[in-house]
Amino acid sequence: MRILAGLLSTSLLALGLWAAGGEAAAKIRVVTTTTDLKALTEAVGGDLIEVDALARGSQNAHDLEVRPSLMAKVRRADLLVTNGLDLDQWAEIVVRGANNPNVLFGAPGRVDASAGIMVLEVPNTRVDRSMGDVHPFGNPHYTADPGMAPVVTTNILEGLVRVAPQHRAAFERNRQEFLARLAQAMTRWSAALAPFKGAKVVVDHNMWPYFLTRFGLVQVGTIEERPGIPATPGHLAKLVASMKENKIRVILAVPWGDYKLSEWVAQETGAKAVLVASAVGAVKGADSYLDTIDYNVRTVAQALK
Amino acid sequence: MRALVGICLLAIGALVPGAAAAQETEALRKELEQMRKQFETMKDGYEKAINQLSDRLKTLESRPAAPAAAPAAVPATASREQTLSQAQPGITINPMELARPREPYALFERRGPGQLLFDIGIVSDFVGNFTQRNVDKANAGTFPGRENRFFPREVEVNLFGRIDPWAEGVVRFEFAEEFEDGQRATEAALAEAYLTLLTLPFGTQLRLGQMPVRFGLLSHLHREALPQIDPPNVLTRFLGEEQFRETGVELAWVAPLPVFLEGIVGVFNGDNETSFGRGKLSRPLVTGHLRTFFELGDFGAIQLGASVANGDTEERKRNTLLGFDAKYRYKPEGWQHSLLTLLGEAIFQNRRVNVLGEDTDGDGVQDTPDETRIRERWGWYVGAELQPFRSGWLSRLAGGFRYDWTEFPTQRGHEWSAGPYLAFSPSEFLRFRLGYKHTERDKRDGFTDNESSARKVDEILFQATFFLGAHPAHPF
Repeated sequence: MRILAGLLSTSLLALGLWAAGGEAAAKIRVVTTTTDLKALTEAVGGDLIEVDALARGSQNAHDLEVRPSLMAKVRRADLLVTNGLDLDQWAEIVVRGANNPNVLFGAPGRVDASAGIMVLEVPNTRVDRSMGDVHPFGNPHYTADPGMAPVVTTNILEGLVRVAPQHRAAFERNRQEFLARLAQAMTRWSAALAPFKGAKVVVDHNMWPYFLTRFGLVQVGTIEERPGIPATPGHLAKLVASMKENKIRVILAVPWGDYKLSEWVAQETGAKAVLVASAVGAVKGADSYLDTIDYNVRTVAQALK
Repeated sequence: MRALVGICLLAIGALVPGAAAAQETEALRKELEQMRKQFETMKDGYEKAINQLSDRLKTLESRPAAPAAAPAAVPATASREQTLSQAQPGITINPMELARPREPYALFERRGPGQLLFDIGIVSDFVGNFTQRNVDKANAGTFPGRENRFFPREVEVNLFGRIDPWAEGVVRFEFAEEFEDGQRATEAALAEAYLTLLTLPFGTQLRLGQMPVRFGLLSHLHREALPQIDPPNVLTRFLGEEQFRETGVELAWVAPLPVFLEGIVGVFNGDNETSFGRGKLSRPLVTGHLRTFFELGDFGAIQLGASVANGDTEERKRNTLLGFDAKYRYKPEGWQHSLLTLLGEAIFQNRRVNVLGEDTDGDGVQDTPDETRIRERWGWYVGAELQPFRSGWLSRLAGGFRYDWTEFPTQRGHEWSAGPYLAFSPSEFLRFRLGYKHTERDKRDGFTDNESSARKVDEILFQATFFLGAHPAHPF
C-alpha cells in the first residue's frame, strides 16, 4: 500500500514538474468563454498567444455544462476573457474549480470584454424571472455586431498587455491590422444590407439587436415568448398573425434553437427561416470572426431579396 | 451620462494611439468613424426611448390624480425621505421605492448604489410519499417517521460571495422537518459556513469551517441537487440521512495538466451520525478524494473518482470507508442538456465494532468475553437518466431509473431497491419529480417500530423544488 502511495505521489510530482517546465517555454495561454472572443483574441495576440474557447460555436453560451475539462483549461491559463453581462456566469464555477488565482474576478489575468460597450436593452424597470431568463445588465450578444470589435479588442489588448507587457507593440500592431481588415469588410457588409434598411425580421432567440441595429434592420418578434422559455401555442398564434399582417419574410434561427419550430412558423406565414451563425464556428463557413459576420450578412441579404 | 460615456470613448479612440506612427493615422480615422456611427445609432435609439417616455408621461399626467395616501403615513415617509436625502446629498429617495416589497432575487439582481456585496439564494425542496400502512406504522419508509406525508425536506437560505481579494465565503441556513424520538418538528440549523482561500500557491485552495465533505459522487450534494428524489440507500446506510457534512479543513489541488486531475485531503472533527461520531480532533476524521475526467469524443464525457475516509466511530473504534464512482454524460451537438446520463458508486467499509460476550448455556453468566470484531460491508448503486427531446416543452421532461443494493454497516443482512422516476422542469428554477420505489430487505430487524414491521416497502415518491435568487450552475 505504501509502495503504491509512493509511486502515485512520485508520478504526480513528475507530471507537475513536467507541466510547469512546459509552461515556462510556451506561448501566453489565453482561455475565452466563447468562440467569438477566441477569434478576436487571436486577432490581437497573433502568434504570441495560444487561445482556447470553453464553449463550442454551436453551443448555447448562456447555459454551458460545467465540465471538469473546462477547469483543466482554465487551470493553466494566463488570461481569461469573458463576455460578461451575465451571458457566461457559469465561468465563475469553472474558475472556482480550476484553482488558478491569476484569473479570479479582479485579478490581472481576467478580462471582461463588455467593458465600455454601449449596452442595448438594459432594463429600466424592475425585472424578475417571470420575464424568463432575462439579463439584468442588458443584452449580452454584442459580439454579433462587428462595430463593437474596436471596443472589445481594446479590452483584450489591455488584458494581454497586463500579462505580457513586453509584447505591447506587437499586440497593438495586430489589432490595427485586424481593424483595418474589419473596416474594409464593414463597407462591403453595409453596402450589401443597405437596400434592406428598415426591413422587419423575426428571430428565434433575442440575440441580434446589436447586429440588426448596426445594419438598420428591425426586429418585430421572437419565437421564444420569453428568453429561455419555449413558446406557448397562444404566443405562436399571435406571432403568426402578426407576421402575416406585417408581411415578415425572414426568421433568423440559431443552431442551438428549435429550428423545426422556426420552419413551421415560416411555413405558416410564407416567410423563410434561415440559420445564422450565433458565434464563430456555429455553422459551416463561419470559421473566423470576419467569415462569421460575412456569412450572416450574406444569409440575411439573400433571405431578404 | 451615456452620451458623456460615448463622447469619452470617442475622445479615447481619438487620443490614445494618435501620436504613434504615421501609417496608423488612416486606421485610427476609420476606427473613429466607426465609433461615431455607433454613437449616432445609439443616440437615435435613446432619443426614441426618451420620446416614448415623454409621451407616456404626458398620458399619465392627463389622467385624474390618484387618491391621496393615508394622512398619518405622509409625514413619516416624508421625514424619512428628508433624512435620507440629507444624509446622501444629491440622491432623491422615492418613498414608493422604499415601500416596495423586495424579494431576495431583486436584491441580487439590483446592482446600483447600495448594492449587496454578496449573493442570496433560496432553495425550497418539498418531498412526499405514499406507502403501505405497516411501513407507516413501523417508520420504515424512505423518509422514516414521515411516511404518507408531504413535507419540507430542505429549505435553504444560501449567502455567498467574495470576502476580500483572497477568499470567498458561504453560509447556509437550513430549515427542515425532522423526525427524532418519535416526534416530528421543523428545525432550523446552520448547515454550512466555510471560507475558501483562493489565492494559495501551486494550484491549491483551502476550505475552512463547516462544509460538505467531497467524498464520492453524491454525498456532498445538497438534497435538491440529487439526480433522483431520494439518496441511494447505500449512502443513507453508511453516511446517514443528512448530507455528509463536517467541520474542519480541506485542501484541494488541481494538477496543471491538459487532463483534469484533482486531489483533495480533509481533516475534520468526525461528527457523522452513522460512521464517524467521535467528534474529537485528537482522533480526527481524515478524508481523501481523487477525481479525473475525460472527454470521449465531442459529445461524451466520463468522470471517475476514488475516495477514502478514516476516523473513529462514536464507540471509539476505527472505521474506514472506501468509495469509487463514475459518471458518464452524452450531449449531442446543438443540445442544451444531456441526452443520457449514467452514474454509479460503490462503498466498502472496514469497521471495528464492540461485540458483547454471550451467555451460551443460559445460566445467567456470560460465557464468551467482550471482543472487538471487524465488520466488512459494502453497497453500490447504478442509475440512468434520459432526456430524449432536443427542444420545446418536451425537452423539459426527463425519465430515469436507479437500482441500489447495500449491506447494513453493523448488522447482518442487506436490502435492495429499484425504481423509475419522471422529472419535469418548466424552467431552470422550478422542478417536479414523481417516482416509484420498491425496497426489499432480507430481515425485519431494525424496521419494527410500534409493533409493526416492514420487510417489503412500496412507495410513490414526489418532489417539488424551486429556486429563488442566485443559484450557481451545478458542476458536471
